[in-house]
Amino acid sequence: MSSKAPSANNLNQARQTVQQLRLEARIERIKISQASADIVKYCNQHQKSDPLIMGIPASENPFKEKKPCTVL
Amino acid sequence: VPVQYIVLKRSPLIPEMATQEVQLNETLAHLKTESETLKTKLEEERAKLHDVELHQVAEKVEALGQFVMKTRRTLKGHGNKVLCMDWCKDKRRIVSSSQDGKVIVWDAFTTNKEHAVTMPCTWVMACAYAPSGCAVACGGLDNKCSVYPLSLDKNENLAAKKKSVAMHTNYLSACSFTNSDMQILTSSGDGTCALWDVESGQLLQSFHGHAADVLCLDLAPSETGNTFVSGGCDKKANVWDMRSGQCIQSFETHESDINSVRYYPSGDAFASGSDDATCRLYDLRADREVAIYSKESIIFGVSSVDFSLSGRLLFGGYNDYTINVWDVLKGTRVSILFGHENRVSTLRVSPDGTAFCTGSWDHTLRIWA
Repeated sequence: MSSKAPSANNLNQARQTVQQLRLEARIERIKISQASADIVKYCNQHQKSDPLIMGIPASENPFKEKKPCTVL
Repeated sequence: VPVQYIVLKRSPLIPEMATQEVQLNETLAHLKTESETLKTKLEEERAKLHDVELHQVAEKVEALGQFVMKTRRTLKGHGNKVLCMDWCKDKRRIVSSSQDGKVIVWDAFTTNKEHAVTMPCTWVMACAYAPSGCAVACGGLDNKCSVYPLSLDKNENLAAKKKSVAMHTNYLSACSFTNSDMQILTSSGDGTCALWDVESGQLLQSFHGHAADVLCLDLAPSETGNTFVSGGCDKKANVWDMRSGQCIQSFETHESDINSVRYYPSGDAFASGSDDATCRLYDLRADREVAIYSKESIIFGVSSVDFSLSGRLLFGGYNDYTINVWDVLKGTRVSILFGHENRVSTLRVSPDGTAFCTGSWDHTLRIWA
């Protein structure tokens, strides 16, 4: 078998790569300014209910209790 | 590429006796040219939309205050490196797996161990809690993903009810139940991801496209449809359609293995953590990377990432034993947490966002809040 001959494998892989790239080239994209604005908006809407940001009082956070209770 | 195309393009000086070899060579060359052209076109299309940076849009957003996050619980019991952990939906139970071959279910409030299973292999790299809270899945060097129903009877031998679900041809790197106990998604060192039916063990869909080991995966939030993202040693993060098996988007900006991927809570973006010491944010609708979370002083790889409930914070577990907390919008680090005595290997925020858990090569898990 000639070492210069490309195998059927190489050909298949190349075909698959081209098909995949054609698919990806076709998708619709939006501008980063718009995408970023949406990410910022989501954060703003949900931040006030984010316990790790707002902090919740020790009395309401079971992990912040001073003495972990042991189930006997 | 049809053979006629090559015939038309051939110079009249080349003899009519074209060999199979010449035809194949021209086809391959043609495909490679088209491949390069398409890649360039993709870059151009993505660049056209690069009108601003995320942190610029976030300039007017109020800065975050000081954070006080401490270790609130330490879970001790594993005999070797903790490799993976997952939260139960009840926000208090945790499953963890270790190099010592053990899988342990903990009550994180009390630090009590509720169940323990010894796997037939060491390096249990993946574990996951079922949505019902009634079972856990795990696997690693055995190349399988097995499901263990959790018994209420503490004396019952869990290993007896074990169900072998997934079979890969190399190690299992990650697993996750879908939105029910009935299906599991896996990723493997064999370069593929796969979706399995738990009851029958049947392969429902396989996902091919990574050029090397797949190290991590995350399912999109259920409201955003049937997709998931995977990351691998080929430095790529791929987004997949679960029904068709098709790779719908691919991102290649990391400079080394991607160890962790996690969706942003809205489902419109995902974060990744890599051996290149950076975390990155990719927006799915802009189809590109929109932020990098890095510092010159951070030179060790990121093993795991997760968002706080609102998506404003990104937690990264690092190989230098620390946790870095990033402001997702502004791109700055807001806190660095110390405590573990070896690499942080796994990190997950609890389902209600009140705490996060880390697992480490120092054999322990820590709950932070």
